[in-house]
Order: sequence, then structure tokens, then C-alpha cells
Amino acid sequence: MRPIERDLLRFKEIVRGEVKKRAREFLTREELFGQVEGGVVSIPLPQLEVPKIVYGEPLGEGPLGAGPGAEGLGPGGHIPVAELELEEFLDLMGEALRLPRLRPKGEGEVTEEAFRHTTIARKGPRGLRHVRRTLKESLKRSLLSGEYREEDPRLVPEREDLRYKAPKAKPRPHAQAVVLFALDVSGSMREEELRLVKTLSFWITLWIRRHFPRLERRYLLHDAEAWEVSEEEFFRAREGGGTRLSSALLLAEEILKAYPEAFYNRYLYHFSDGENWQGDTPLALEVLGRLLPGLALYGYAQVQGPYGQGRFLSELEEALGEREELRAVEVRGREDLPPALRRLLGG
Amino acid sequence: MRKELRYWAERLEERAREEGLTFPPVLFEEVGPEEMAMLAAYGGFPRRYPHWRFGSEYLRQREVYRYGLGRIYELVVNTVPVHAYLLKGNTLLAQKLVMAHVYAHADFFANNLAFQPTPKDMLDEMAHHAAYVERAMERHGARSVEEFLDMALSLENLIDPHAPYIRRPEGEEEERPQGRLRVRPYLDPYVNPPAEPPKEAEEGASPRPLPPRPTRDILGFLARHAPLAPWQKGILEIIREESLYYAPQAATKILNEGWATYWHTRLLLPLLTPEEALEFAELQAGLLAAHGFNPYRLGYFLLQEVEERWDKGRFGPEYEALPLGEKLRYERPTGEGKRKLFQVRTVHTDISFLEEFLTPEFALGQRLLALEDLPRFPEAKRALLFRLTNMGYPIVELVDANYGNRGELYLEHLYEGVELDLRRTKAVLENLHRLWSRPVHLKTVVGGRETLLSAGA
Repeated sequence: MRPIERDLLRFKEIVRGEVKKRAREFLTREELFGQVEGGVVSIPLPQLEVPKIVYGEPLGEGPLGAGPGAEGLGPGGHIPVAELELEEFLDLMGEALRLPRLRPKGEGEVTEEAFRHTTIARKGPRGLRHVRRTLKESLKRSLLSGEYREEDPRLVPEREDLRYKAPKAKPRPHAQAVVLFALDVSGSMREEELRLVKTLSFWITLWIRRHFPRLERRYLLHDAEAWEVSEEEFFRAREGGGTRLSSALLLAEEILKAYPEAFYNRYLYHFSDGENWQGDTPLALEVLGRLLPGLALYGYAQVQGPYGQGRFLSELEEALGEREELRAVEVRGREDLPPALRRLLGG
Repeated sequence: MRKELRYWAERLEERAREEGLTFPPVLFEEVGPEEMAMLAAYGGFPRRYPHWRFGSEYLRQREVYRYGLGRIYELVVNTVPVHAYLLKGNTLLAQKLVMAHVYAHADFFANNLAFQPTPKDMLDEMAHHAAYVERAMERHGARSVEEFLDMALSLENLIDPHAPYIRRPEGEEEERPQGRLRVRPYLDPYVNPPAEPPKEAEEGASPRPLPPRPTRDILGFLARHAPLAPWQKGILEIIREESLYYAPQAATKILNEGWATYWHTRLLLPLLTPEEALEFAELQAGLLAAHGFNPYRLGYFLLQEVEERWDKGRFGPEYEALPLGEKLRYERPTGEGKRKLFQVRTVHTDISFLEEFLTPEFALGQRLLALEDLPRFPEAKRALLFRLTNMGYPIVELVDANYGNRGELYLEHLYEGVELDLRRTKAVLENLHRLWSRPVHLKTVVGGRETLLSAGA
């Protein structure tokens, strides 16, 4: 390895280490959220420069033109920025926060063809010549024609002996997923709670998409009634009214009919303050009982509202107990996010 | 090297020598963009000690090239023979221009006074340094050596660029007993091992203050006096030596690039074919573009101005006494221009060059300054010179290594109206504290008030 490659590898290792070290901090950094769509994440990391005693302000531009300092070449300058591919960034976050790998359930639809060099052809580029097979043909031919002599077993391949590795298209099952987010907007959710919800659903989406490149997202809001909204509306909407959790679950059931279980990994996330109307809980639990077997995961995050403790979380756990597809957490503030995220993703 | 290039290299060298440039042999090599990025990251050398910041710089250089944000046409290294790298795939004209440019750089390295103390075998030196650090990593662990390098490199600019010129009869030099072999500093502890450790009592009783006078050579001081292992002192010496090697290049950027541009223009113009003229004009326009601070442009036009002034006799007390308007009309043909140019390239660095020749007339002529801004010229010039002082770094002196009689370091920032970057400065002080192992203080100005920043206190 050339020395410079060694230095480059070490540099990348340091970047990765710093990202992992600060993963918890990135979790709540909302300015990261926008960048992610571009596929590259830029993170300012002061640790990536050797600090020196330098002037604090750029030695500004005078009437005689900007100084060498203003070029960014001179001493000082800005805080260095590390740029990471989104996938690499997510993997580092996943490692640091111990997010679980998601396992595709079921075979899924055949959607992709992968090419592999698994067959043999008589024509092809020289680089793909299959030496062993070519010699085998040559040997066969010389044996048949009687040219072969044991005392001098040399083989001279003729044009007709040449064999090449050839590609063959192989259909590959491709796992698909759908994720549904349901948000309780009954007056009791405030700005701060909404922010937690947004952060959670942002990372949940990214992490699921990391495993299922073809991810469909649907969003619903509910108070006593449930209705479907766009992604933007989901994070903006605030309504009033009472809470009926069953309404969201019933609508989810409706929507999921379009995504047959056999072909889709179906995720359903439900954010609420847990203050359900008294009479609704049995119905909600009943619908959930129907839904659960067909879901990869049902995540219920109870965000604590300003008016005390919601009860749905405990009612849910009491009624359904420990189940593989059920993950219920309580989120009181930012510090709860990393474990909540881990748990909601099945960890 | 390709035959065609070699032909042109020889012709241009001949022309350059005819014009009076003097330089050692120049070895050209064509390299691809990846290799050029590597050389640029390594400061022109094929081998440096292992450190991640080279990797970081390499990544940046590669990206700059990939996204077309910039292109390094040439890289020339101050060694004997001079090594110069040309970017493979440039047009023949671009390569000719670059070669002529390189010959002038080679002449500058060989003749400018600032370069006289720099070692000429730096190619070997850098490789020795690399081997030294690699060996330290094998013995003491890559991570602990890297950690030390990180600390030491943050002191990289705490050198005295004038150190190679300083010969002191008394003071610290005296501490070295007679009969010692003079060798590279990092080899010193091996060639001249200390006879016995200095006795504590003697050291404490020493009446002589340490350092004897305030010094800017903080790296050198630490390498001699900090409580460090020999390999750590060796690394400090290596970093100091490399910083001192690069310092003259930073201090002569404008003059050196101006000189090289002046000569490639002068050597190449008579050789241009009509077909090449347009491409040449394009290259030249890119090189001399007027955006931001362009050392090529400033240096080139200022040298042209010097030549014109000395050709027309626009110098001396009689000329200096004239009012601005008459200066522009003054003429007393002497033909001294070329001689003056060679003198300038020998004796000046950027600061003295601009100090002496950057006049209001030039600034007006170059449209660096509008006529109504003329009264602000002295202030603007001072600001420009300040930016070039100490390569744009604040000047920091080590005043006392036994501050408060507690063995603490006391440094002073020579405040000139611009305050320090606090975050970075504090980080450096932490590093300094870890090296010195006793508290470290820096007197500077923060928020307009004199302040003592401390680490470890």
C-alpha cells in the first residue's frame, strides 16, 4: 500500500470513530434532517484538524484586495467538515446506537434481475476466457482425433476449443416494505412532543429504508376520527378533540390491505399520549389483535403529554403481553430517544 | 519523459541561462492527477511520516480535481537537483509554459537569500523523518506516536523563521560542551549522548534565566528542555526542521510566483506559433485572474513595474521628491531595469518587496485603489503587510520557563490589534501543557482586555 493510502485510511477511520462517538448528539440534530435527502451527510468535526494558534477573525479585505487569509488557504479558516455517504453514516449510527438489523420476512416479489457469470459460452472477451474449460475441450478433441500422446501431453487449444465465462440473468427476490405512521393529534400533544415524534419517525424511516430500498410510506392523523395525510401535513398538523386510538388502527387495517403480507414487510408506528377514551380501548385492542400477526412490527410510542400519564401503554402490555411483533415504549424527553429508537426497531 | 518535452525542456533551459538565470539541474517528471494530489498533500515529496492529516489533504485535493474546482499544473520542490512534476495530459503549450515557470522557480530557490539556509537534500531528509517516525511507531505503538504527533503538530507554527540565521556566541548555544559532533538535531542524542543527567540542585541554582531572552523558537526550546522521551524530542525536532524548511516558501510566495510568471512570459512569447497564441493568452488570463488575492498577479505586475521604473530612471531622491502627478511623467532613461530585477529576486521577501515597491502610483495603475481612496493608502498597505507578517500567524514568544519559580511556561502573544481564535488557542495550550507537564500560560488580549490564558493551572 502506498503511504498516502495508509494515511487516507487512517483519516477515514478517525472520521468514523468521531461520528460514532457523537451519534447520540446527531440523533437530535434537526439540521441534519434536510441534508439526508441528498444522499451525502456533511458533519462539522473540529476534531479533524490540528489546532494551532491563529487569529480569531479573518484578516479582512482591505482596499488592496483580500489577504491570503481570506482564501481559506492561509492559517485559520473554518471548522473542517466530514462528508459521508448516507449509507455509511447510517451504518455508523446503527453501530453506535446498537440499532438492530431488520430481517426481511417472506420472499417478496421478484423485482430484480442479478447478473452473475455462471455459464459457459463459446464466444466472449479474452479477459473472461475460462482456461480450465478450454483445456478440457482441447484434451477431448486431441483424444478423439488421436493426436494425444502420453509421452508428450501438450495441448494446443484451437479456436473451437475456446470457452468463456458468460453472464446469466438470475431473478432475485427483492424484499419490499411499507411503513405506516399514525399520530394522535388530540389537543394534548405540544410542540416539544411533536418534535420527539418527528425525530423518531425520521430515523425509523431511514433505518427501515437502509434495509428495504423500496420502502413505501403512508401517514395518518387521528383524534376521534382518522384520516390519511401527506408527509408534510403529518408533521405540521395540529387538531383538537378527543382520542380514539381504534380509529387509526382501523384505518391502518384498511390501508394495509393494499400491501399483501406475503410480499411486504409491514411496519406500523403509532404515536400518542395514551389518553384514550374510556370505552375505546377494548375495540383498539381487538383491532390490534387482528393486525399483529400480519405485521413485521407494531411500534407504539407513548409521548408524555402535559396533563399527566396516559394509560394505553400499560393497558396494551397487560392485554397482549410480550410479543415478537409488539414494541411499546414511553418517551419523556430527548434522553429517552436512543433506547426508544432501538426498541421501536425491534431491538 | 517524452522526447518532445525533453526537446523543449532543453531549449527553454538554454534560453533561461542566456537570460541570466542560474539554477541547478531540473528533473521533470510527468505524473497523473492522483499522484499529483498525493504529492501536493505531501508538500511536494514522495514520502512523509505517517499522519492522517496528509490523508485528509489528499482526499481534498482529489476532490478539487474531480469536481474541476482547480488544477495543479505543476509542483516544484526546493532540492538539488530541483524536482518538478508536470500534470500528465496537459497540452504541449501548457507543459512548455510550466517548464519555463519551473526554471525561474529553480533560479529563485538557488539565489534568493531566504532560501540559503534550507537544506538541499530535503528529499532524503523527508524520507529519513518518515523512517524515524515509522520506527517509533513500531517500538512505542502507532497510536501513542500518533497522539504525540497530533500534539506536536499543533505547535508547528511556533518556530522562529529567522532561527537559521541566528548565531549566538553566548546563551543557549554555550550549553553545548566543546567537542560535540554537529549532526542533525534528531540524531544528536544518539551521536552525543548526555554524559550524565544534570543534577537537580545545579539546575535549580542556575542564575541564568531560561530562556536567556524571549524566544519564538518554542518547538526548539521544548525539544531541548521538555521532560520527554528521546523519540518524542526527535519528533519535535523533525517537525521544527520541516516547518523551517517550508517557511521561506510561505514568506516569498508573491515574489517567487511573480518572478516565475515574469520569466515564463518572457521566455515563451518569442517562441509562440500563431496557433498557440490564443491558448497562451487563455492560460495567462487564468493565471493572472483578478479575483481575490492572487499572488501571481500581484507579483508579476509589481516586478514589471520595478523593471519599467528602473528602465526609465524613476528612482532616487530626485524622483521620490516629486508630487504624484509628475512622477508618472518623469523619465530619465537608464536601462537599469533588468539588473534591478535580479537584485530584487536576490534580496527580498514578500514583506520587504511590497514595503519597498508597492506605491500609490502602482495601486492606482492596477486599480487596486480608487482615486478617492488615496488618503487611505498607507493604512491599506499596512493591513496587507500585516497579513503577510509571520506567514499570517500571530507572533508568540516564550518569555519564561520557570514562571513564578514553579517551572511553569509563560508565553506572550505580541498583540497587534487582532485577537486570537480562542477555541483553537486553548486547545494548543492544553497540548503544550501535556508536553511540558507543568502549567502553561499565555498572555494575550481577549475582548479588548489583557488576559492570561492558562492550561493545567
